[in-house]
Amino acid sequence: MSGIIDLCVKEKIYKNKKSQISILNDFRLEVAAGEKIAIVGESGAGKSSLLNIIGLLDRNYVGEYTLFGSPTDQLHTSQLAQWRNQRIGFVLQESALINSLTVEDNIKLPFLYASPDKKGVGEIEDFDAVVNAIEIRHILKKKPLECSGGEKARAVFARGIVMKPQLILADEPTASLDVENRERIVTLLFNMNKEFNTTIITVTHDLEIANRHDRVIHLERSK
Amino acid sequence: MKIFKFIVSKIFLRKAILGIGIMLLLLMANYITFTAARSILSTFQGYQETKYVNQEGVYIANLDPDSHIDMSMIGESGTQAVYDYLNSSFKYAFYTDGFIVSVPNDDDMKISLGYLNEQYYRLNEFEFSQGTDLDFDYQLDGEIPILIGKGLSKTYPVGATIELEESVLGRPLTLRVQGVLKQNAYHSNFYALNSKAYYNFSILFPVNEEFINHANMDIKFNGLMDIILLETSKEEIADLSEVIKDNLGLSFNFFSQKENYDYFNEYYLHSLKIIFITTFILLIVITCLSVWNGLVSVRLMLKDFTINLLVGLSYSKLKRIFYGYFGMLSFVNVALIATFTAFNRYGCWLRKDTTFATYGLFGLIGMDWLALLLVVVSDIAIGIIVVESMLWKIKKVPISLGVLK
Repeated sequence: MSGIIDLCVKEKIYKNKKSQISILNDFRLEVAAGEKIAIVGESGAGKSSLLNIIGLLDRNYVGEYTLFGSPTDQLHTSQLAQWRNQRIGFVLQESALINSLTVEDNIKLPFLYASPDKKGVGEIEDFDAVVNAIEIRHILKKKPLECSGGEKARAVFARGIVMKPQLILADEPTASLDVENRERIVTLLFNMNKEFNTTIITVTHDLEIANRHDRVIHLERSK
Repeated sequence: MKIFKFIVSKIFLRKAILGIGIMLLLLMANYITFTAARSILSTFQGYQETKYVNQEGVYIANLDPDSHIDMSMIGESGTQAVYDYLNSSFKYAFYTDGFIVSVPNDDDMKISLGYLNEQYYRLNEFEFSQGTDLDFDYQLDGEIPILIGKGLSKTYPVGATIELEESVLGRPLTLRVQGVLKQNAYHSNFYALNSKAYYNFSILFPVNEEFINHANMDIKFNGLMDIILLETSKEEIADLSEVIKDNLGLSFNFFSQKENYDYFNEYYLHSLKIIFITTFILLIVITCLSVWNGLVSVRLMLKDFTINLLVGLSYSKLKRIFYGYFGMLSFVNVALIATFTAFNRYGCWLRKDTTFATYGLFGLIGMDWLALLLVVVSDIAIGIIVVESMLWKIKKVPISLGVLK
């Protein structure tokens, strides 16, 4: 398996209104294509910050990061946006939907920013395939506030995979779901990995889910 | 375009109150900028136009507002005596208007008759669109050369004649069009430089000595009001003042244009300065309110922006969308003001308002376009401040997964 992530963070300063703390000191992560990685750790250990860095949302750290074979510090912000659109899928908690849009519009949002070759017939096929696989056709015309937690979680999941990304970053995707929906989301996630060799990185507090990944990384709070 | 349409309709306009708020604030800013700019431009034009009388030895007559008018003292012989004295002792420029007559024309407008003597004509350097110089050497029994405004030239081209029952002489006259004034030619008030009357539906009638001798008392009396005395002195003016007092029982002031400017500066310019300062302060307040409105919008829509940034929207694209949105609001507002102004100008045509009927592209005259240009410039400045503040606010909270939890 070839490596798609080679990250070396020397230091990341996390600031909030009251204080600033140093996290991810001398942290190194190498991930091969198709690998499933779980990141666990107590609150404040830097799990979401790590996901922000991997997902090209945060470049404010000391270190080096090569993604898909390219050093990310050489990428322009518009290229970062393009990669977030086409190569990285974010699977978030069920609240990460725009409430004024229908579920369908939420799922189709990435197509809006896609390059022209990703639009058109391919767009419809990809959308239909995802909707059928996740079984959410019945809620497409609904607004998120009219859906249950499980339905919203599946809609967020659908948006994260609709562009067939090479890398999926899942940030506590099952945090507020019941057992049935939690299992459903995890199964969908692992199916993506199985069918398309998609690399999965999941941040979770659930050790049972974490242990079903290929590798579990424990992050600890800085002393 | 698709992204722009999406962000504007699904995010910006989602909170209607914020969208309408920024629209109204910008409309207010635009309207006060527009009106202030027009007042200043009009005053500047007035200064430029009246420069010709701002010379050493030039005085402009003005009836003293405290002078008691005893109509029984004002008679034919008295006014003629004043003009006899003027003709023998002074070089003067004579202009009077406000005589409305019915002359058939394509636009069915009432026509304003303006009377001017050769000195006034030479001083003003009227600009023509057609025709030749006005000839003052004519006989009342023959064809009298006249100048007309652009609006009348459709019905009466150069060389055409107009039959008129003229009230000043009280007899029918035949007028021949000698020249057509430039479109929107105007004259400004000596004392209120921002106020002007347009010649588009005027006939300018040449006044010579024979005309004055035969004219009725009204025009002679009215003509004295703003008569311009040239190459004279305070002493000669004092003598004239005495002659007027003796013959008409009226007190006249004779001010140089510098004194008129001083008067204008003291009363009108001061008001204009207040308008300008108030406009400036209002613009600052409105800009601050717009920034506040923008920041509130960002705070309320931060989740929406973050999700869009997460799935492929870039900051540079977002910046273009913000500027595009502000440009769209600005365009709508400028179009509204232009339409409102054009409608006002068109209203002068509907009301048959001879002195304010003007021609222009989409009904707007040059001064309006210049003021609109200033509105656009002020919008660009406000737009940069508002948009950059909004972007600063968005970037202050970096896009992160934490925002969505």
